[in-house]
Amino acid sequence: MHEFSIASEIWQSVLKAVHTHGVARACPPAAWRVRSVTVEIGDFNLIEEEQLSFWLQQLGERDGSPGVELKAKRRPGRVRCKECGEEGAVERREEDVGFVAVMLPACPKCGSRNVEVIGGRELRVVSAEVVQEESDGGGE
Amino acid sequence: MLVGDSSGVKGGGAGDTAPEAPKAPALRLGVSGIARKRARADEHEKARKGAGKMRLFETSETGSVEIVVDEDIKARQEELAERNRELLRERGIRAFDVAGSVGAGKTSLIAEMVGRLKDKHGVAVIAGDVATTHDAERVAQRGAKKVLQINTGGMCHLDASLVWRALGQLPDSGIDVLFIENVGNLICPSYFSLGAEARVVVVSASEGAHVIEKHPAMFETAELVVLNKTDIAEAVHVDLAEPMADLARVRPALKVVKTNCLAGEGVDEVLRALSLA
Repeated sequence: MHEFSIASEIWQSVLKAVHTHGVARACPPAAWRVRSVTVEIGDFNLIEEEQLSFWLQQLGERDGSPGVELKAKRRPGRVRCKECGEEGAVERREEDVGFVAVMLPACPKCGSRNVEVIGGRELRVVSAEVVQEESDGGGE
Repeated sequence: MLVGDSSGVKGGGAGDTAPEAPKAPALRLGVSGIARKRARADEHEKARKGAGKMRLFETSETGSVEIVVDEDIKARQEELAERNRELLRERGIRAFDVAGSVGAGKTSLIAEMVGRLKDKHGVAVIAGDVATTHDAERVAQRGAKKVLQINTGGMCHLDASLVWRALGQLPDSGIDVLFIENVGNLICPSYFSLGAEARVVVVSASEGAHVIEKHPAMFETAELVVLNKTDIAEAVHVDLAEPMADLARVRPALKVVKTNCLAGEGVDEVLRALSLA
């Protein structure tokens, strides 16, 4: 369920940016909508993208932007091995079920779990794409 | 209408009308907000009538405009937690976030700690639950000076903003220790820092031998682990060496205290580990 909290925060920051930008001041609310939102998501956040996308759509629908699309830029989990010094992306191994690859990261070279996480914790709203609705009748 | 109303609250200085009356800001903002809305509506009407299908804002070939948001969600959550931390520091309250599964023994641990601290400290408890006030009543009986219930409805974790609201309801003085009982869950709370001094994760023998290995994120954010219900480990076929070994792998230096909270065993050691005794 934390996907809902995160979707709410993403949506709030999008609305804030849209209003600050001036698009919303130039047009009546019915004349624009958010078409897509680009979010950088690090793998270590353990966020289910589908679920996040679902909640973002629900929020969009509530606030006059139906069908808002989540554009996720995945940032892979990266580790530095404290045993062999290797730096690299965490790979999913055969025995890893579900999120285990990122929850218990291992060195891609020697397999040690004694690693330091150096990437993949990002969670940042990058941008939002806003479109103007046709003024009378059907949108696009 | 989107967030136009709330942005109007801050946007007083944007060069709108209503320059007079520096006093009574709430009223002034309210009036200017309405005036602004009306002016905007007129503009829209003009644009609509006069311009036909004229574009109201510059767009790219795809008919859209890309707005930079650049907002670090994690940083914002951390800011909210920091705000709690500061308030607690100002008021001289030491706060502890107690997390763990449903049934791990969070309330029992808190009740035992409250009972031991109540004579020397003013203890408050924030009890986060999806529903009901059973836990709040239990710790109140043990001598907590103030118990606040947060019913999250469906939310599976507390977050810094919920705790901030609860902190506003604490009495102005007489509280110096605060236990925040998180919603019973070993997953979601790990992503939300509350601004407490330390997080205590309660895990019980009856959750199985590998509960720690299965939920490493929670233990990554912990300052202390309480391994509870040690008295029934044998009955549920759990060898306590196993969770201890898993923990050593996930967080080698993390402190662990073994307890049987119902009987009060190990609780003094928990208090010592939190430097509360």
